[in-house]
Amino acid sequence: MGKREPVLFQIGWNACIQCGACIAICPQKESFVSAFDTIAVDRPCDIACMKCEDICPVTTITHIPVPSAVTPSANLFVGQ
Amino acid sequence: MSIPIYDLVIIGAGPAGSTTARVAANLGLRVLVVDKRQELGAPIQCSGAVSRHALEATGVPIDDEYIHEAIYGFGIYDTHGQKTTIDYRKVKPDEYGEEEGKKPLGYVVDRRRFDRFLLTQAERAGVETMLKTEGLGYSPNGGDYCHVHLKRFNQTMEVKAKVLVGADGLQSQVGKWAGLRTHIKLSELASCLQFVVDRVETEGLLEIITGHKWAPGGYAWVFPKGHGYAEVGLGVIRTMTDKNAQWYLDQFLQESFLKDRFADARILEIQGGGVPLAAPLRKQYAQNLILVGDAARHVNPITGGGIHTALSGGLIAARYLAKVIQEGHQPNQEVLAGYQDLWLEKLGRKMWKLYDEKTAIFQGQDIPIRDQQLYETMSSYFHPESEYKKI
Repeated sequence: MGKREPVLFQIGWNACIQCGACIAICPQKESFVSAFDTIAVDRPCDIACMKCEDICPVTTITHIPVPSAVTPSANLFVGQ
Repeated sequence: MSIPIYDLVIIGAGPAGSTTARVAANLGLRVLVVDKRQELGAPIQCSGAVSRHALEATGVPIDDEYIHEAIYGFGIYDTHGQKTTIDYRKVKPDEYGEEEGKKPLGYVVDRRRFDRFLLTQAERAGVETMLKTEGLGYSPNGGDYCHVHLKRFNQTMEVKAKVLVGADGLQSQVGKWAGLRTHIKLSELASCLQFVVDRVETEGLLEIITGHKWAPGGYAWVFPKGHGYAEVGLGVIRTMTDKNAQWYLDQFLQESFLKDRFADARILEIQGGGVPLAAPLRKQYAQNLILVGDAARHVNPITGGGIHTALSGGLIAARYLAKVIQEGHQPNQEVLAGYQDLWLEKLGRKMWKLYDEKTAIFQGQDIPIRDQQLYETMSSYFHPESEYKKI
């Protein structure tokens, strides 16, 4: 398996019950948290293991590919 | 401006943090508790069951202020609906019951009021508190004190503490600051969801429903919540299934052998949490720092119960810290290792044993055998003669 592409997580804020399971399971070394006790949504996750999505009891974590403006290296793949 | 100095700074005002604070203050320590929330106990991540023994043993006054409903025993179901009832009103009728002079076995508590009550008790013992205050980090300088960096509204501030106590829950940031291995495996974190419901009958028992079909890796529950309400919930281990807690809870309400009881249920609230069904943290201390409660994984790995273990762990921590600080020891790693040793001796070894039992059951590949083992283990766990009765 190759290295996974970084992702940006998104939370359904109304569905979220702030249970903290996503943070508890997150293998990121530095604290990768939002101000609402969820995994961070303001920066890319380069591990992209998706354990947080799996553990969420209300299935409200999703992800999108990191927009190219956020990671300059992603520009390599644009326009080819 | 000089930096305020405390014996203990405690981050997190849940049952573990507030108990550590209250007991330490009563023993003469200067204590500050901070919590980033403005209301305690919320969001509710817990069903709120606690034994009367746990409250009494840790000096928490029993008070209607925080009690939803009194509990007198257990009903444990196997996967097909066969039930073992352990009703202490029948097992020990002289001691347990609703009548004058008799007592309940335990309570389902309102975590919002319970957590507030515990912190108020601590404040009355002389503890200082700051809510809406977030911990940002800590810097131990290898000496008697560490610096704790806090943020209150938009202001950063700094206090000094002999010992920083991380009581900040399963998602402990304090543990991460100290480089403790707080990361939990997906296979040991139960993803829990519960509905607070109206129109579901209960009879003063904690009902526990076992079986891979209903809650793989965990169990389902029906707890009385007072005022005619009940809690119906479950916890699942995500590595054992491709469906999530929400799917299982819907299935449990609509298809289980208890479905007739749920036919009129009206869902009032949805709550959830991550509950570690894991071993205690192998290292619960660092230079000028210890962890208590969920942060140290002081949670019963079979029942997922964490209030009793939080209260007891807080009591053990506070007494130990008061002793070493008052004897003038520098709170370095060697000294604080003593806290963990004491905790292991009084509580931890039994929790390790429970963890080994749980692991042995779930390592089995044959689901009917596993279901049977879990049912028997749960039934004997709540038996009056169980060696684990007081965990």
